[in-house]
Amino acid sequence: MDIFGDLVMGLSIAITPINLLYLLIGAIVGMVVGVIPGFGPSAGLAILLPVTFGMDPTGAIMMLAAIYYGAMYGGTITSILLNTPGESATVASTFDGYPLAKKGRAGPALVMQAVASFVGGTVGVILITILAPMFSQVSRSFGPPEYFLLAMMGMLTLIVMIGNHWKLGLISALIGFALGTVGVDLETGQGRYTFGSAELIGGIYFIPIAIGLFGLGELFYAFFVGMHKSGSGGIVQYDKEAAFWPSAEDWLSTRMTMVRGSILGFVVGVIPGAGATIASLMAYSTERSMSKHPERFGTGEMAGLVAPETANNAASSGAMIPLLTLGIPGSASTAVLLAAFMLWGLRPGPLFMEQNPELAWGLIASMYLGNMILLAISVFAIPLFVQIIKVPYRLLAPIIVVICTLGTFSVHASFIETYLMFAAGIVGFFMRLYGFSPAALVLALVLGPLAEEALRQTLTISRGSAMIFLERPASLWIIGVTIVLVVVLPFMSRHGKSAGNAEKSGT
Amino acid sequence: MFNTSTTWLRNSLCATLIVAPVVLAAPAHAQSVYPSADETLDWTIAFGPGGGNDIMARTIIDILTKYDLYPGDISPENRAGGSGAVGWGHLFGQSGDPYGISTTSGSFVTTPLQADTPWQPADFTPVALLATDDLVLVVNGSSAIQNIEDFIAAANAGPMNIGGTGTVNVDFIVPTLFAEKAGFEFEYVSFNSMADQTTALLSDALDAMVGNPGEILGMIDSGDLRPLVYSGASTPDALGDVPTMGDLGFDIGVSMPRGLILAPNVPVETQEWWIATMRKVVDTPEWAEYIKTNTLTPTVIYGEEFRTFLTNTKDGFEKVLKSVGAID
Repeated sequence: MDIFGDLVMGLSIAITPINLLYLLIGAIVGMVVGVIPGFGPSAGLAILLPVTFGMDPTGAIMMLAAIYYGAMYGGTITSILLNTPGESATVASTFDGYPLAKKGRAGPALVMQAVASFVGGTVGVILITILAPMFSQVSRSFGPPEYFLLAMMGMLTLIVMIGNHWKLGLISALIGFALGTVGVDLETGQGRYTFGSAELIGGIYFIPIAIGLFGLGELFYAFFVGMHKSGSGGIVQYDKEAAFWPSAEDWLSTRMTMVRGSILGFVVGVIPGAGATIASLMAYSTERSMSKHPERFGTGEMAGLVAPETANNAASSGAMIPLLTLGIPGSASTAVLLAAFMLWGLRPGPLFMEQNPELAWGLIASMYLGNMILLAISVFAIPLFVQIIKVPYRLLAPIIVVICTLGTFSVHASFIETYLMFAAGIVGFFMRLYGFSPAALVLALVLGPLAEEALRQTLTISRGSAMIFLERPASLWIIGVTIVLVVVLPFMSRHGKSAGNAEKSGT
Repeated sequence: MFNTSTTWLRNSLCATLIVAPVVLAAPAHAQSVYPSADETLDWTIAFGPGGGNDIMARTIIDILTKYDLYPGDISPENRAGGSGAVGWGHLFGQSGDPYGISTTSGSFVTTPLQADTPWQPADFTPVALLATDDLVLVVNGSSAIQNIEDFIAAANAGPMNIGGTGTVNVDFIVPTLFAEKAGFEFEYVSFNSMADQTTALLSDALDAMVGNPGEILGMIDSGDLRPLVYSGASTPDALGDVPTMGDLGFDIGVSMPRGLILAPNVPVETQEWWIATMRKVVDTPEWAEYIKTNTLTPTVIYGEEFRTFLTNTKDGFEKVLKSVGAID
């Protein structure tokens, strides 16, 4: 019962009017930075960090944390409406979110994503509350061999993305892997394809590529098919007036998806470095392989939106575990939170929660309240956001270009990244025209460098022996789960329907 | 969304507004007293908010303001990008302007080695080296290795895996030089971040790693990590009785410089004014507190000696990195 005592103490701190105000500000700022493509939570946090210098640490950390998980709510809005992921963790939400909007179901999709975010976030906080010490063991068991296997699991999503046009999909993925090789090679320190540019030392960041391929590519394509000539027509042409609230079937068909997405997202979020992006991709491919209708994924299936949404929010809660229990930041955003702790003279580490119970539990309690606030804001804001798709395309298009440009530039204030974004837009248009898979390219760009580095670290450690993957318990677990995902589940679901259907699914 | 756009616009506008009059008015500085209360000091922070460089710059600015050591306004600007290339490139472009200043960190030496930057560390006007970032070698708290003697003995029995962040970095150079002097071999495993390498060590994938004590002190306190040896001149209090590499007779003489620099080609009087001022800054209790919380080694040298230090550090890095083929 100690936990409840701590939680009540935390709540009593979080609920003071001034802290609630900070929490509200954080939630709103988080939503806003999430909505702007490219301008993710870590950039938002870094800009607001200096503002918090004079503040009381508890209120400040509540506000900063709210920006972090609030961005997960906001990031999906543009994924659904404009096919432009607001930030990296919401790339997977474009797969079915945008098709849903095209079908005229933007309202239900936005409501479901807000609910899914709320469920994921709240389940994540509940798991932090009761299981933080246990999960800190999970984050301790991950070394390079496990990261490599995890990246391989993430690549299963690639197979899903590639789907039926496997040749085009494969080429797309290979382009992504090739782009992923740019930057200073971690092991030898040699620059690869950097051409002496300091801005390419760190490699090609995938945010400008994703914004260009998805956002601008879609936009150019819309011009190509002459959508701007339709005068009053919005980005999405409706056959009929669409309902705003999700149907009973939406709720019923996704209730287990939410549970699975929350747990999977949380566990992946706990692993430092894997984070919300991989969690959302894995949730998507898991859901597809468990679905009775895998062929509907990518065409506007509600479960295909709900799964990554619950997962990325649960993962953002999960990432608090290594931060609070070990002092290890699991992502760029939690690294800024860690820097904030150190600025206030706090010493993150295994003794942090014991030494600073008021701050730690105040933060955890505030996350319950923060998720409620965000759900409320989302539901009020959705009717406004839905209006976006009714704006005539000839007016909307220039605004999208400006937002994409500002968003990309704001991340690192880099002109090279801004040029890359426009180049990716042109490439994205042709990919769209000829049926290539921009999603496979972006995924390969994210996972390729991760897998390469982890594999080389693993083999350096084992002096070249692959047996290391079978010697470590955590590795064996991941291999086991992968086998279940790849072999057992599709096999089981194939038994439930005709063989012809299963062939089409392409898994 | 419009908040962010205006922030960027404002930043660049401010930069232009600040720099333009300074450049135009440059000849006037020779007659007037430095520093003039009418001039705004343009303080470049070559990294984003919250990083080590940012914290140091803002600490110095706080001290300058609190003790009224600088008469005019100070405008700190985070000009991040290209591992410092953007920010220090900006200061390089302010050549001859006595109101451009910046703080240095490890990338000040390593970035020019990796990329074609138009500037080299020795091009700038050196004010002072204030502290060095040194590294501690740690093993997992559950390891059988209790001290550095155990470690060297075990490393002689079979090469160890030692993790660090990056390759063109002290994390690689410090254990390489140490192993050379102490006579053992090891495999260096390069990671992208301290977080990745710490989890790798906790998961027993690595035998040991090097890191800045400030980032892992929490885990050292709790016994999850065991410190063995420190690369700086004197061990910080927080690490207890851990020996330095020098104590063992294996002094390597390499560390990351945290110092203060001015734009190239500024008047000698400006450099002297800043040296005198920094002498006061490092005597304040606030500075002592900063050194303590960030577990830095206070190593203070001024002026041209700092330039020599930078050149030596760069040459030392270049030699080691060329010998392993990391750079051409």
